[in-house]
Amino acid sequence: MRYGPIIGAGALFSLACSWAALVMAPQLQLGDLSPAPIPNTPDFHPAARPGLAAQGAEVYRSLGCYQCHTRAVRQDQLLFGARLNGIGPKAINLEAAGSGKTNLVNLKLLIALAKARPDLGLAKVELPPTLAADTNAVAAFAQFTTHLTLLKHADHKAGIVRTNSATVNELAGKLPAEILAKVGPEEAERVVKLLSDSGAKAELVIYNLGPDIARGWGARRSVARDYLNDAPVLLGSVRVGPDLASIGTRAPEKFAAPWKFATSNTATELEHHLLVHLYNPRLLAPASTCPSASYLFDKVKPEVRYAGEPLVVAKESPPVFPKHNAHALVAYLLTQRNDVSLPEAPVPSVAKSATAKPAAPADTNAPSKP
Amino acid sequence: MTAAQPSSQNACATAPSVAEVEASCRLPVLFLAFSGAAWLLTGVVLALLASVQLYNPTFMEGCAWVTYGRLRPAAINALTYGFALQSAFALALWLIARLGRVELSAPLGLTIAAKFWNIAVTVGVFGILAGDATGFDLLEFPLYAALPLFASYACIAAWALVTLHRRTERELYVSLWFVLAALLWFPWILSTAQGLLLVWQVPGVVQAIVAGWFGNNLLQIVLIGFALAVLFYFVPKTVNRPLANPGLARAGFWLLLLIGGWCGLAQLAPVPAWIPAVSGAANALVIVPVLALLVSLWQTAEGKIGETCKENATFRFMLGASILLLGVTLRTAIFGGHFTQFTFFDTARTDIVVLGVFGLAALGALHHIVPRLTTGEDELPSEGLADLSFWAALLGVIAVGIGFTFAGVKQAAVGASTNDKFLEFAVTGTANHLKLVTVGYGALAVSALAFLANFALAARRCCLNCCGGAR
Repeated sequence: MRYGPIIGAGALFSLACSWAALVMAPQLQLGDLSPAPIPNTPDFHPAARPGLAAQGAEVYRSLGCYQCHTRAVRQDQLLFGARLNGIGPKAINLEAAGSGKTNLVNLKLLIALAKARPDLGLAKVELPPTLAADTNAVAAFAQFTTHLTLLKHADHKAGIVRTNSATVNELAGKLPAEILAKVGPEEAERVVKLLSDSGAKAELVIYNLGPDIARGWGARRSVARDYLNDAPVLLGSVRVGPDLASIGTRAPEKFAAPWKFATSNTATELEHHLLVHLYNPRLLAPASTCPSASYLFDKVKPEVRYAGEPLVVAKESPPVFPKHNAHALVAYLLTQRNDVSLPEAPVPSVAKSATAKPAAPADTNAPSKP
Repeated sequence: MTAAQPSSQNACATAPSVAEVEASCRLPVLFLAFSGAAWLLTGVVLALLASVQLYNPTFMEGCAWVTYGRLRPAAINALTYGFALQSAFALALWLIARLGRVELSAPLGLTIAAKFWNIAVTVGVFGILAGDATGFDLLEFPLYAALPLFASYACIAAWALVTLHRRTERELYVSLWFVLAALLWFPWILSTAQGLLLVWQVPGVVQAIVAGWFGNNLLQIVLIGFALAVLFYFVPKTVNRPLANPGLARAGFWLLLLIGGWCGLAQLAPVPAWIPAVSGAANALVIVPVLALLVSLWQTAEGKIGETCKENATFRFMLGASILLLGVTLRTAIFGGHFTQFTFFDTARTDIVVLGVFGLAALGALHHIVPRLTTGEDELPSEGLADLSFWAALLGVIAVGIGFTFAGVKQAAVGASTNDKFLEFAVTGTANHLKLVTVGYGALAVSALAFLANFALAARRCCLNCCGGAR
């Protein structure tokens, strides 16, 4: 090759290809993303940062926190499930009308549940004598018996053997109930339709799965939209320390060094915890290798009109006074959340149970393939 | 001449002699080479201090200027811009002058531009330490350092291209393809990245994509390109044979340019899935051109590798650089996917390319160039120091590479499990590997010192010759 311009033109052509694919195409694809409205609220995600948090973003960049912390939650899988929320208006009260007790049973739902969960048994429901005069109930029970016969026939053909130790009757007795967990979208949709057709209230639920989410570092994967208000976008590339994408909403027991809220004033406690971490991470986690940012704190009360609240870092040592930058950095960290559902990255809805959280569903209870 | 294909029938009658060519190179190339080596020393010392903080957080605690988050980018940028790119300019100018058999245009202007480059790098490193880093990997210099950097690069590249245009040896040898491609490639990626990240900021994660694209092109095309230019010049020269199979080298060159620019984004997380997928495929495909180029070099040296290794220090450096190039390409292609995301594994790639592939090739070349331009001899004054520089650099890079890689694999294992003992396994568990990294940076500092000592001895001998004669 003798001609320099040919080599130069070839090189520029190769570069132009890579530029078009990896600079221009992403800009065309993502350049006009906008914040998404949060359902049922007037707010948008990502929200514009308040002034103090915006200053904190600058401190985060300036101190190079992004050298050791990422701000991106990873997700391996998105799976689906069906949840039963109510047995519906067509339920029949098995107790006598005047007894004041209720024992509602939706017979169609029981059949639907039995179809949805071939691994569970179905206890036969007998027509109570008190309802023998109710023609509607008698008809419904007659239909139930017919369906039961058909179901048994189908079970026999498919080779399904039902245990009697756990029955769908018990499953329907305690709502909300996870009917199916961690299955494919078709399977979950089929079951939701089956349950809804029987007059019950059922919904499709999602499961975000992956080590990051299991570890409690976030509710869903991070997506491009989460970073719209960041300038510069500090994703980080190494997890020397824990991921910070959801540090503002992370439960205390999910921290690398778990702790507990002592009072009900959780917001103040989290703020205090983060300030102490900045002052000296080894006060909270002795094994931490995070460098102390003690230069963000005054050891003696600064001579200004309002020095701010003193920070008690340890019982035996005198309190310190966080500087403005320390408060700003903590304010920035507290804006880090990824619990907002987005169209491209939904967050699982929490079961609307008034009582304590239901026990975590088993790993999977997808019906085994015949 | 060199081992390049001789085409003396084309050589112009007015071609300058080797001595004239080297005389024109003396000032700018020696200046760039010396500053490059000095930045190598500075950079690895900064990186060493930073690496200590990874397992001993109370080291240099309590001062914002030397906290890990500032020291580490300062070190990497000092190494990339101060050492790697600066030495690359020295090598590029020298290769253009030698292979084109032409005197360097505007040696004084080049020296002044190089001076400004050094000032800009110094300002940039202090800017990072003062907290003005931009937050983008390999592009952390603040705008007030980045713009002078670009301006002085424009001068250096323009004079280099003018020199190339005025060459008397019309046939372009393989080394010059790489030099030309890298010289044109660098201003485009730098201006794109600076423009889209620092001036007219693109929204959201597009910033991360642009920064990743820039960093990869800088490593994969510009620095590896300059390293290959050096390899293709010195391997045939030291084994004293013409380049075997130039066709393979040509195929490798074009494929590297076409594929190399697509690598390096395989581990970006919150971006459309096609970007990591395409980039991961490119990471694997780039093995083809790298193998083609290395096979071409291997065929050239086949049978004489052991012999040349014993007698020629420069060849040893070239061998080390080639093996590391193969190693870093394979390791990124095979393990550089989802599993090692967010770990030190990718950190190691930057270190191996800058200090290993490019660093070894450049140090080897400078061990040849510096004595030619100072004393006019072929060997540096101290053979022992050259050996020390080689072994310290090789072992240093291997220690840094292995330390970061194993720490990365350990972090990856924690990241892939739902184990919540993050502190125990991913933080304290990697301390021993990171200590190896510190040792590696220490060895690299020794290597830089040994080279600088050799440089000083050569310069002293040169001065004695000149001034002694004058007296």
